[in-house]
Amino acid sequence: MLRAERIVCGYGSADEILKGADLAVAEGEMVAIIGPNGAGKSTLLKAVAGLLPLKSGAVLLDGVPAHALPARERVRRGIALVPQEANVFPTMTVRENLEIGGFIEPQAVAARADALFARFPMLAEKRRQAARTLSGGQRQVLAMAMALMLQPRILLLDEPSAGLSPKAAETLFDVIRTLHREGRSIAMVEQNAHEALTIADRGVVLVDGRTARHGPAAELAADPQVRRLFLGG
Amino acid sequence: MIRVLQLVADGVMAGATLAVPAIAFNTMYAVLRFPNFAISGLATIGAFAGYAANVWGGWPAPLALGAAFVAAALASVACELGALRRLRRSGPLAAAVASVALTILLENVVRFGFGNELRGYDLPVFRDWRLGPLRLNPQEIENAACALVATAALFLFLGFTRTGRMMRAVADNPALAALKGIDAGAVAVLASLLGGGLAGFGGMLIGLDASIDPLTGFRVMLSIFAAAVVGGLGSIPGAVLGAVVVGVGEECSLLLLDPAYRSAVGFLAILLVLSFRPRGLLGERAW
Repeated sequence: MLRAERIVCGYGSADEILKGADLAVAEGEMVAIIGPNGAGKSTLLKAVAGLLPLKSGAVLLDGVPAHALPARERVRRGIALVPQEANVFPTMTVRENLEIGGFIEPQAVAARADALFARFPMLAEKRRQAARTLSGGQRQVLAMAMALMLQPRILLLDEPSAGLSPKAAETLFDVIRTLHREGRSIAMVEQNAHEALTIADRGVVLVDGRTARHGPAAELAADPQVRRLFLGG
Repeated sequence: MIRVLQLVADGVMAGATLAVPAIAFNTMYAVLRFPNFAISGLATIGAFAGYAANVWGGWPAPLALGAAFVAAALASVACELGALRRLRRSGPLAAAVASVALTILLENVVRFGFGNELRGYDLPVFRDWRLGPLRLNPQEIENAACALVATAALFLFLGFTRTGRMMRAVADNPALAALKGIDAGAVAVLASLLGGGLAGFGGMLIGLDASIDPLTGFRVMLSIFAAAVVGGLGSIPGAVLGAVVVGVGEECSLLLLDPAYRSAVGFLAILLVLSFRPRGLLGERAW
């Protein structure tokens, strides 16, 4: 369904964070992207979502090139990125955040917001509160709910558990597991490689801007080299 | 004591009028992320468009305020599309410097069309109202009421309409707004339209209180900037609070200082607020 091929990009003209990274996510599949700090994991998601221009490479959705489109057009085609930080509108209420999440499909906003409030009662309780008053875990759930407002074809999750308490992280992984069980395609960058490979179908190991390994998550989790480098033994 | 009360009342009225261009300044700052000093030229454009509608067209002042809004809004969009959009890519400093150049350009367009002389609106003359020991000018009260209506309309627009929420989303986080399918370029044009229109509206309100010439906007630029900084750059309620603080401060300075030093009050307010609350009284981007 989604393919990113030989992606080369960075944050400045002379800067290359990604030096030929690949990513493929099939329909209903969950792919965990792991790797050391600075490997380009978050950059890869930003490139796929359209926040960074490519120097070379391609992003294909159902075989159709999407890399020339701006971020706002890729959203319309079903690619939804949940950034690691600054992923909600802090001065707006929870309800307004959801409305902005569904901005390009205004006729569906009310029904989908109600459905998400039913799914995440915590958000319903705080619907009139400004997003800046939420805890870190609550913000991550809101950020994910905002992405779900458009019922995207693929969710790109950038370190969803970063900065969360173990309990909040576990709650969030439960949400991600449920989304995956429902058939949502997901690509997730995660520092907690063990948890990521446990819940994902496949894994991609990114090292120094290149895809070093990829394969079934269970196989990668059992690989001695991956275990030594990323799983603490 | 009565003099102090009178100066405070005058300051609140002046602040209410100043609040409109200060809101315009902060609306544009919140979305466009640079201090747009073209606002003083846009205020002048509005003042003269309102003059043309009122004196030449015979429109009553409240209707002429509409003409002031429209003319300045169109001039603001022309500035955005013709120059500022491209220059913003070079950073906020380049855009701010360009906006100073634009304000001088706009003033000279007005000077070319209307000349340098002072002009006054065609307004009915009223006696001052007396409220106990205080004297209140009906024109100032009408101006404050117009400013209040414009401010309330902006609040309702930003708080309760889909387009208003879109603008607030871009002001909060432009990258995230793009990820939600919002076109930041279109929002920039809308912010220019709205901010420019309010600047023109405010420019005419300022002119209604006295007279106008091509420097009408430039004279209040420092007070507008002070109000925006004191309240909190990018904050709409902050602009209102900042304008009242600066308005009252400028009037009350007359107790101690010659009127020639009035404009120094704005700078003093900026220095004091930035020293103790660097993000302004209500904080940056507060809503």
